[in-house]
Amino acid sequence: GSAVKIELSCRLADKYSYMKILQVTWKRGNETIKHINKTENSWGIQLTISENRKLGSYTCTVTGEEEFSVAFHLQVPQIEGREKPVISYEGDSAILICKSHSYTPIAWTWYMTNGSEQIAINDSLMLDKYIIDRTDANVTHLKILKLTKEDDGAYWCEAAYELGKSKGKLKLKILSLMVPLKPFLAIVAEVVILVPLILLFEFYSKKKRAEDEKEFDQIEQL
Amino acid sequence: MQQQGGERKEGKPEPPAVTGDGSQGTDRGWAWAAVLHFFLVNVFVMGMLKTFGIFFVAFQEDVGGSSEQVSWIGSIMSSLRFLGAPLVAVVCRRMGERPTSILGAGLVSGGCLLSTQATGVPFLCVSMGLLLGMGFCCLYQAAAVMTAKRCRTRLAFSNAVARSGMGLTFLTAPFTQLLIDTYGWQGTLLIFSGIMLNLVPSSMLLRPVRTQLPLCPPASNEDRSSVPKGHPEEATNGAAQPSQPRGLPSTEPPAEPCSTGAVTTAAPGEAPTDSCCPETISEATKSCRSFPVLKEEKPQPLVDFSPLKDPLFFIFTWSFLFSHLAYFVPIFHLVARARTLGISSMDASYFISVAGITETGSQLLSGWIADQNWTKKYHYHAAYLVLCGVTNLLCPLATTFPLLMTYAVAFAIFCGGFLALVLPVLVDLVGVQKLHSYLGFASFFAGIAAVGGPPLAGWLYDYTQTYACSFLFAGACALLSPVSFFLEPLAQRWKLQKANVSMQSEAILQGSSGRAGFGCSHSQMPTSTDLQCQSKNC
Repeated sequence: GSAVKIELSCRLADKYSYMKILQVTWKRGNETIKHINKTENSWGIQLTISENRKLGSYTCTVTGEEEFSVAFHLQVPQIEGREKPVISYEGDSAILICKSHSYTPIAWTWYMTNGSEQIAINDSLMLDKYIIDRTDANVTHLKILKLTKEDDGAYWCEAAYELGKSKGKLKLKILSLMVPLKPFLAIVAEVVILVPLILLFEFYSKKKRAEDEKEFDQIEQL
Repeated sequence: MQQQGGERKEGKPEPPAVTGDGSQGTDRGWAWAAVLHFFLVNVFVMGMLKTFGIFFVAFQEDVGGSSEQVSWIGSIMSSLRFLGAPLVAVVCRRMGERPTSILGAGLVSGGCLLSTQATGVPFLCVSMGLLLGMGFCCLYQAAAVMTAKRCRTRLAFSNAVARSGMGLTFLTAPFTQLLIDTYGWQGTLLIFSGIMLNLVPSSMLLRPVRTQLPLCPPASNEDRSSVPKGHPEEATNGAAQPSQPRGLPSTEPPAEPCSTGAVTTAAPGEAPTDSCCPETISEATKSCRSFPVLKEEKPQPLVDFSPLKDPLFFIFTWSFLFSHLAYFVPIFHLVARARTLGISSMDASYFISVAGITETGSQLLSGWIADQNWTKKYHYHAAYLVLCGVTNLLCPLATTFPLLMTYAVAFAIFCGGFLALVLPVLVDLVGVQKLHSYLGFASFFAGIAAVGGPPLAGWLYDYTQTYACSFLFAGACALLSPVSFFLEPLAQRWKLQKANVSMQSEAILQGSSGRAGFGCSHSQMPTSTDLQCQSKNC
C-alpha cells in the first residue's frame, strides 16, 4: 500500500513554561527516535507508516524538574471474524461476512489458507466460484458457490486502512448431507415403528371391547 | 348376571372421562393419552415459536433480507396459529380431530423440510410462515377440543397439565442453539422436521369419541352398563320401550335432560358415575341404540356462524382478547424495563425463568382448584384477571430488583391462574358439541390481538418513552377483561328464553317421532342447567 506521512508533536502547557527543560525524548516502546524537530515550544517527529510494523504507541517524555509524558496510539481497528465456524453443506453456497465498525477501510481482501499458506482470492478470475460483494464499504461478503470438502478451512478477511492492514479470521466447515440425515432418519424410523404399534394396540382394544360386548350380551340373554 | 353387571360397574370408580360401557378404565387411559398429546403439541409448538429468534439471526446472514423482512416470517407463523382457527374448525368438524391433527403434524413437518431448501425470504414466508402456522393451528385446535371432549370432570387440571408443556420450552432454546452450531440452520430444520413428525403417532392417540353407537340386536335392548338393581325398565323388553325415556326429552321441560339421562342408565338411587350431561351420544350410557338416530338429520352448514349470534361468545371473546393483551405486553417489556432501571441483563433473565416456573406451578394449582367445583369456573377466571390487573397497575412502583422480582412472581401466579382456565371456561359456557366453531372464532379474534399486541406495545413505548405505560395498559386490559362476565347470567337467561320458545315450537313439530339422542345438545339446551348439573354430578 501507499505510505502515509504522519507528524506527531507534543507541547508543554503554558503554566509550566517557567520550567527548565533538560531533555525531550520520543520513544516507541523501548526504541528511541532520534530525529526530533524542535520548534519554538513543541517537539515533533515525522513518521512514514506503510506497514503494520510501524504501528504502536509513541510516547513523548519531557524531563525537567518533573517528568511529563504523553502517548499517541497508532493502530488499525480490530476486525472481528467469527469464533464459531460457519456451517454449510456440499453443493450449497456459503456467505462469509466481515464488518469494520467505526472506520471505513480503503479496500478488502480475502485469503484462504492452503496448508500453511495464505492465498488471496481473486474473484474476477474465478467468477463461478467466488463472489465478493463490495457494495457497502464497511462490510464485505464473500460468497462461495458449489462447495466441496476442499473449501473447508480458515478464511481471512483483510481490511486495508491508511495506516496499515487488519485481519479477521473465519472458519468454514463443510458437512456432507449424510451428517444431519442420520439423526433425521433415526427419528423417522422411530415414528414409523410407533405408528403401527399404536394402530395394533387400538385394533386389539377394539376387538377386546367387541368381545366383551358380545360376552355381556350373551350373558344378558341367558 | 345382573349382579355381575353391577359389580363390573362399581369396580371402576369415578373416572375423569368416560363412556359408560364398562371399559371406563381404557377410556380414562385414552383421556390421559389426549392430554399427553396436547402436552407434546404445546412443547413443540411453543418451543418452535420461541426459538424462531435464534433462526432469525441465521436467516438474516444466510438467506439475506432486512431485519424487518425476516421478522415477517415469525409474525406470519405466530399469527396464523390463531387466525387460521375458523378454517381449521371447519376441517375438524368435517374430518374429525384425529385426521386434522395428523394433517397438522404433516404440514409442520413438511414445512420444516421444505424450508431447508429456502433461497429467499418470500420462500421462507410461505414454507415456514404459512405451512408451519397452519399446521400449528390444526394441531392446537384438534388437541384442545379432544381434551375437552375426553376430560370432562377434570378438564381444568388436564388443561393445566397439558399447558405446562410450555414451561419446558426454556430447554428448547439452548438445544436449538446447539443444533445450529453443529449442523447449521438447514440441518437443524431437517432434524426439527423429524422431531415434529413424532406428532403423528401422538395424534393417533386422539381416538375419536364414539358418536355412532352400534345398532342393538333386537333381543338385548337394555343398558348393559346400567346397574339394573330393580331397574324398572328392565322388565320391559320391547325394542321400542327403552328408547322412550330418551325420546321424551324433546317434549320435556328444559330442566330435565340431565335427570333423563340418569334415569335411562340407572335406578334413581344410584348416582351415575359418568357425566350426566352427555354432550355426544357416545357419552350416553346406552351402549347401543334401538333405532337409527334421527338427531342431526338437518345438514350442517360448511362454516358454522352460529357463534357469532351467541352473546356468550362475545362475552368470552371480549375477555379472551383483553386477557391476551394483558399477558403478552408485560412479557415483552419486563426485561427492557429492568434494564432501564439499571438491572443487568443477566439478572433480568432471572425474572423470565422464575416467572416461567411460577406460572407452570400456578397453572396446575389453579386447574386443580377449579376442578373441585366449589364455584363456577369463570368466577376464578375473573378473580385472577382482576388480581393480575391490579398487579400490573402497581408495577410502575417497582423500581428495584427485589420489588420487580415480587412483581414477576405475582404476575406469573395470576397469569398462570387465568390461563389454565380459558378452555374450561369456554367449555362451561358453550359445551363441547359446538366447541370447534366457538374456539375457532375466539382464536381468530385473539389472533388479531396477538398480531396487534407487539406493535401496539412498541408504539406505547415510543409515544411515552417509558415502559411503565405498557404495564399500566396491560393492567387496564386485565381489568377490562372480566367485565363481560358480569353479563353472563343475563345472557344465559336470554338464551334460556330463546331456547324455550324454539323448543316448544320444535316439540309441536316433532311430536313423538322419537328424536332419540336429543339428550343435551348444547346448541339448543340452555347451559345454566348444565352448569348446575356439572357441579352436582360430574
